[in-house]
Amino acid sequence: MQVINEELVDLAIDADSKMSAISVLAERINQAGRLYDHAGYVASVVERENLTTTGIGFGIAIPHGKSSHVKETTVAFGRLNNKIDWQSLDGENVGLVFLLAVPEECQGDQHLKIIAGLSRKLVHQEFRDTLEQAASDQEIVELLNDSLAGVVA
Amino acid sequence: MKLVAVTACPSGVAHTYLAAESLEVAAKKNSVEIHVETQGSIGIENELSMEQIQSADAVILTNNIGIKNEDRFKGKPVVRVSAGDCINKGDAIVKKLQQKLAK
Repeated sequence: MQVINEELVDLAIDADSKMSAISVLAERINQAGRLYDHAGYVASVVERENLTTTGIGFGIAIPHGKSSHVKETTVAFGRLNNKIDWQSLDGENVGLVFLLAVPEECQGDQHLKIIAGLSRKLVHQEFRDTLEQAASDQEIVELLNDSLAGVVA
Repeated sequence: MKLVAVTACPSGVAHTYLAAESLEVAAKKNSVEIHVETQGSIGIENELSMEQIQSADAVILTNNIGIKNEDRFKGKPVVRVSAGDCINKGDAIVKKLQQKLAK
């Protein structure tokens, strides 16, 4: 099963808050059959978010939840129609969101490796530009699959 | 100029690696050799070797949380910066070090 596919990409999300953006993407993950328990999963994401903001800067956020409510490692990607406040470390509003779902029994720290890999890529302007400008769900999927290929077993 | 660096951040999830990548990119851009060890929640990756530390002209350490095994760097010029600065000002940090060490 692929970590990300077109069902998991939404290039036009209407959200007025962190929570609503997370909800929309979590619903996508649920629809794709990747969760055992939607509410349990969302709770794990919120818990992590409350620890430290996942607004890492550059207008991007990487909320994530690792829990027994997740069936398969999944990445959902959303582009917000309106940038929102995410208490980002650089003070900028967020327009691109990656929501990650990782099973508890995952081999150690898989989601951390995915995030680490993604984070490294996000430092590169070209990668961020492509995310901003991609015209289709498919483009995003191809871009992310190529990047994550080395990380997910 | 040769540098070594260690990045670590409280959650150890994203900034640790963002900072590491930013420093690597900045170093490459300025033709500086750098080895960056990350101390994130995955654990220690790309652990610095004694040779790398010995031949380094300076050490960059993030100051958001304590760095493990800091005594490795005794006697070396150490620069402490926040992970955030590594990410936003990586280039400036490397350039400044180049100036100061004039090599």
